[in-house]
Amino acid sequence: MWEQIKQALLQSTARFLTEFASLLPGLAALIVAVLLSLVLGWVLAIVVRRVLIGLRFDQRMAGWGFASMGEGSPLGSPTALVSRSLFLLVVLTGFLIGVAAFDFAWTSLFVRSILSYIPNIIGAVLVLVVGTIIARFVARSVLIGAVNLNLQYARLLSEGVKWLVIVLSVAMALEHLRIARGIVELAFGILFGGIVFGLALAIGLGSRDLVTKSLERDTKKAPEEIEDPLRHL
Amino acid sequence: MATNSIPASPPEEAKPIESADLVIGILADLSPEAVTTMCQTLGTLPGSLRIAVLQNGDPVNPSPANRSATPQSSTVSFAPSLLAKPGGAGTAPLNMAAAYQSVFAAGEKLGSRACCILASRLESETGRSAYRLAEPLLNGELDLVVPRYARHRFEGLLNSSIVAPLMRALYGKRLSNPMGPDFGVSRRLVQRLVGRERTGRGAANGLHPLASLTPLALCENLHVAELHLGTRSYPPPDWTNTASLVAEILGPVFLDIERNAACWQRMRVSAAVPAIGEPVSVQSDTASLDTSRLVESFALANRELQEIWSLILPPSTLVELRKLSRLRSEEFQMPDDVWVRIVYDFALAHRLRPINRDHLLKSMTPLYLGWVASYAHDLERDNAVPPDQRLERLAGAFEAGKPYFVSRWRWPDRFNP
Repeated sequence: MWEQIKQALLQSTARFLTEFASLLPGLAALIVAVLLSLVLGWVLAIVVRRVLIGLRFDQRMAGWGFASMGEGSPLGSPTALVSRSLFLLVVLTGFLIGVAAFDFAWTSLFVRSILSYIPNIIGAVLVLVVGTIIARFVARSVLIGAVNLNLQYARLLSEGVKWLVIVLSVAMALEHLRIARGIVELAFGILFGGIVFGLALAIGLGSRDLVTKSLERDTKKAPEEIEDPLRHL
Repeated sequence: MATNSIPASPPEEAKPIESADLVIGILADLSPEAVTTMCQTLGTLPGSLRIAVLQNGDPVNPSPANRSATPQSSTVSFAPSLLAKPGGAGTAPLNMAAAYQSVFAAGEKLGSRACCILASRLESETGRSAYRLAEPLLNGELDLVVPRYARHRFEGLLNSSIVAPLMRALYGKRLSNPMGPDFGVSRRLVQRLVGRERTGRGAANGLHPLASLTPLALCENLHVAELHLGTRSYPPPDWTNTASLVAEILGPVFLDIERNAACWQRMRVSAAVPAIGEPVSVQSDTASLDTSRLVESFALANRELQEIWSLILPPSTLVELRKLSRLRSEEFQMPDDVWVRIVYDFALAHRLRPINRDHLLKSMTPLYLGWVASYAHDLERDNAVPPDQRLERLAGAFEAGKPYFVSRWRWPDRFNP
């Protein structure tokens, strides 16, 4: 009886040690891959940072409407954001290569599913970045246009338009990531509709006095008062 | 000696014109009578000249009753097909540019000695304006004749407050209307302009004849003179479109400053140019302006556009603007040196592009309206100076501020007060 127990223990220990030994090359490969990717990512991040500084990337981003991104933002300046993202991407790739070195069915499945999901992530990030750029550009256009039309609610209008575009791009990005599609659609509809309704209400109520004043001024004006002597050209 | 050949019936391009000594482009909306008078006057130009008139629409068909009795020494023919058709709003500056270019192209094609462009309606003597623009050019004395209009005090303010004093300070010649729009241009200048367009420095970089003619002539040391043309008829302002107007006018001017940087940095002081004709004075110039809307627009912009202005203007100017926005409407007063620095800083920002250029130019509109309010207040004070003296003082401030602009242009990062 004791012999049988001893035999079973020895066999299980041998099996465990064999299994563990078979894991070691994969583990070593994972450590090497992560270390290499850390070094490679660090070098690449430094190179990209220097190139972007040389290209005055931060100033250009400020020109495109990202002036406030670096000030007090947890993401730092646009240059820092790009170089850190690149570093993380390289480290993640190294980790996935290391994981794939384990010759198990579940690891290859895991890596395959992650790799097949990467295009969705890239697409979603692109949608978000482009959406944010468009949102800021449109917001600035609306703000300047509204100020030139002497609209007191220029800022509100500009912010409203900006958030409309951002909400739209976030919804599109989540749709791309295939995350809780039903909820996203519903939430998007509610948010988008809410912003439009809020803007309409705010502008409608806010401009009530303006419209009244404008109508009063038009009816009270004598014909000779309408003539404006100002000529720009 | 040829006789007047204003066609008795519309010519329908039956006999295409192959050459001309003088090309006249009529871009203004003139009455048939005015065009007839103009053609008859042009016919009296000495030297048996062949004159091609470019005008959209049907050419005039003068009846025997309104034919001139004066002897005609030159031949006038119509060539409407050589003129670009204005699309949409015919007087918009960008459409005007295409029309100007087509007149110059026609001048080149026909081998003319000079081109004249009439783009505005004058309140008197419209019929003689082409003759007066062409005459000094055909004598071979001048390369560019620019107009000098008699104006009421609130007319042409975008030109008086920015374009004219800026060009005077930069290019060193005191011109009242450097952007015309009525011009007389010699063959030599047309060739230089067309040459610049062909070498790719022009059209690709947004070369705009209205803005580029005068700087080009001044940088090439050509002979420029002013012609007293009387009073213009101005279109009433479109308040919803002021920002677009500012952007369309100042965009080409700022582009040209960038293109001619090597030239204007050499100029030190300004000088007057010869004037042709007698000055015309305007009558009953007592109009007053309601400045409350202008000051409101400035104050609103000062509140909402700080984020944008801070990318363009130095902190010291922003502080000045904040102080101005706290003034009551009737006390509003923008010092000349502040306005001059604003214009120079916007011209520099147009080159450096810290923000989109259209946004940049449109965000300048409330500042311009603020200056207009300040100018109106200046003219309505008890001890007010006449408008011409007030504008002369502003032009002096632009000249005094030029070293600031040159420093910022050369060292935009280092020199930032």
